[in-house]
Amino acid sequence: MNAIEVHHISKSYGKVKALEDVSFSVGKGEVFGLIGPDGAGKTSMYRILCTLLLPNMGSATVDGYDVKRQTREIRRRVGYMPGRFSLYQDLTVEENLYFFATLFGTTVEEGYNSIKAVYSQIERFKNRRAGALSGGMKQKLALCCALIHSPSVLFLDEPTTGVDPVSRKEFWDMLAMLKERGITILASTPYLDEVRRCERVAFLHQGHLQGIDTPDAILERFSDVFNPPAIEHSKAVTVGEENVIEVQHLVKSFGSFRAVDDISFSVRRGEIFGFLGANGAGKTTAMHILTGLSQPTQGTGTVVGYDICTEHEQIKKNIGYMSQKFSLYEDLTVAENIRLFAGIYGMNDQTIARKTDELLSRLNFAEHKNDLVSSLPLGWKQKLAFSVSIFHEPGVVFLDEPTGGVDPATRRQFWELIYDAAARGITVFVTTHYMDEAEYCDRISIMVDGKIRALGTPDELKQNYHQPDINHVFTYLARQASRSSD
Amino acid sequence: MKQFSSFVIKEAKHIVRDRRTMLILFVMPVVLMLIFGFAISNDVRNVRAVVVTSQMDHVTQQVIDRLSHSEYFVITATVGTSKEAEQLIRRQKADMAVVFSKDFAAKRKGIQLIVDASDPNMAQQWNTYAMQTILNPQSSLIETKMLYNPRMKSAYNFVPAIMGMLLMLICAMMTSVSIVREKEKGTMEVLLVSPVRPIMMIVAKAVPYLVLAFAILVSILLMARFVLGVPLAGSILWIFVVSAIYILLALSLGLLISNIASSQLMALLLSAMVLLMPIVMLSGMLFPIESMPMVLQWISAVIPPRYYIEAMRKLMIMGVGIGEVMREVAILSGMTIFLLIVSLAKFKTRLE
Repeated sequence: MNAIEVHHISKSYGKVKALEDVSFSVGKGEVFGLIGPDGAGKTSMYRILCTLLLPNMGSATVDGYDVKRQTREIRRRVGYMPGRFSLYQDLTVEENLYFFATLFGTTVEEGYNSIKAVYSQIERFKNRRAGALSGGMKQKLALCCALIHSPSVLFLDEPTTGVDPVSRKEFWDMLAMLKERGITILASTPYLDEVRRCERVAFLHQGHLQGIDTPDAILERFSDVFNPPAIEHSKAVTVGEENVIEVQHLVKSFGSFRAVDDISFSVRRGEIFGFLGANGAGKTTAMHILTGLSQPTQGTGTVVGYDICTEHEQIKKNIGYMSQKFSLYEDLTVAENIRLFAGIYGMNDQTIARKTDELLSRLNFAEHKNDLVSSLPLGWKQKLAFSVSIFHEPGVVFLDEPTGGVDPATRRQFWELIYDAAARGITVFVTTHYMDEAEYCDRISIMVDGKIRALGTPDELKQNYHQPDINHVFTYLARQASRSSD
Repeated sequence: MKQFSSFVIKEAKHIVRDRRTMLILFVMPVVLMLIFGFAISNDVRNVRAVVVTSQMDHVTQQVIDRLSHSEYFVITATVGTSKEAEQLIRRQKADMAVVFSKDFAAKRKGIQLIVDASDPNMAQQWNTYAMQTILNPQSSLIETKMLYNPRMKSAYNFVPAIMGMLLMLICAMMTSVSIVREKEKGTMEVLLVSPVRPIMMIVAKAVPYLVLAFAILVSILLMARFVLGVPLAGSILWIFVVSAIYILLALSLGLLISNIASSQLMALLLSAMVLLMPIVMLSGMLFPIESMPMVLQWISAVIPPRYYIEAMRKLMIMGVGIGEVMREVAILSGMTIFLLIVSLAKFKTRLE
């Protein structure tokens, strides 16, 4: 008997078809990947299998029980980690675990063996509030909570989005251990290295099942989506001599904790600078100082020629900023968003109108000018948000994990925009958890424990640390971290 | 049972760890009680009166003395003509004028009251008080005896009203927000996928707020008794029993709101707008229901606090037995059962 059987499932929300005639089956103890871009229907599929949603058509069984009729049986047997963190932020690690244990009618003592391997890594933080954990830690705790009752099937909806490579690797090592114990795992992920760790994967695209096969076969067959040809970047031509960002001995401490611990670096005009680091290494804090959102405790620096300690207003006028969390107003149209942000930077109406048309035709967005942003796919939103953040031609643009949650082909298109901007002389300062993107940068720095441990071109770093790619360099350095959480 | 208690503990921790909300929940009743008890009051006190008389004789002086010796009036001026008095009122120097006719001493009658009626309710009261004070005690044709609230203190009226408003707001708002918050944060998905029965989840969510509501009830009663000096004439036990029914009603209303609202903001707005406005306007808290137009009277008939406030006035202030408020209790219980059934039936065990 298969652990999961899906027969011709369809689900639509009003006019939007989330899933159309999807069928697959997953064997007992299999690690099965459900992959596809944002909006492909993965979350709907998880919710149907977890009995949270009723399908419009088709049927499915989990562990032999029907998802429509035998709801309670299924709810007793599955573990579910939704995409968003499913923890209570104001409860401590231990309290979260005890709560979920009793929720499933078991105790932490009874279930301890099944989570020991995972929990032992976070047990020393058991009195810390879940909200104060780093991304990787939260994921581990969420996994513990989903595993405490020894489920027979585990559903993981993009469990590692926004988690650094080292924590992701550990997370998948844990999944491998669970497989040993015969737990069936259905997981989705935007990372190719994780896709490769599944036994079989199903590729969903716009609600349609495109194919089921081994990871390599799927990645091969849909290589235009997963493995687009690398983009050529003519370096050195555009990089100028002057420094756009220059900081010396920057320190930011919160009480006795030094989030940023004496960092110095400089970024030249037109350069693409990758700012890497594990969750909690101090990237966000450093970025806040550079964008004038917070004051450094010690140290000096300039951004586009203005002092980071005193000239916040000038800095803010001359930089662009795009973060993963906030990009555009969803309830405004594309044109209205552009108009708003251009207006904030004091551009006049004529310029705005002219540049809006230019921008939209360059992005092939012209026909979507009056569409609400909320109706666009995530990849488009990201491209638009980036274009808006450099609309006022800033000296430097800060991108905080700009490409979370989209497939490699979409990310590649995004990077074409970044190269475009760099060619026009806009310096790009970017943080990312995708190591293939790190290779696209002119220079990268890797932060560990608040300090910059490595700085140079991707090739230099690979040579210095004798590693085949940046992913390995990163893992090698991040493993040496002594502090493990922010 | 273990599941249930751990659920309650979790919910209690959410409440206790959210210090600011806790503070607001306990400070709000205290502030409201103090404001309504001391600052906002319909009590007649220190009304500025002008005396208009052409000759100050013994009889007139007696009347004026009675006015100025009462705690209600202060004589601010004595003028010769009523024109001057009206001017004083117009210039906001006085609230009312007492005009004595020329031959008042001889005839013992002929007093005119000129009152600033820009606030008609207060004007009415000043008028009544002035007449009482002037007439007493010589020609006491009518003697009024105020039952239950001999000194006509408005706190007697406001305490039950504040109880009705606060308990409803806190219970309905807090339960709806706490359920919607779980929806927003995504924890609700995990709870729904667990084997826990939804009914248990809901009851467990309500328990901490029930306790909180009782704590607030006790603090209001203590303040009413010892700070505002409102007597608790009736049986404390019945006050609590009726309040418990009312709190349950408010909790199920909160549950119903949480079914409709998709975000915390919407839950807050729904409870504030849909609950607060009618409670303040139509429950008889500020304006007497009897003097509302028929349509509004019908609407006020379905507003639960109306019955609770009525019952509390009877129980606390009049000190009647439970038998006298059976009608209110029956209506409240009926409403509670109805709302509870509807909200439980509406509770979604799946996502949309």
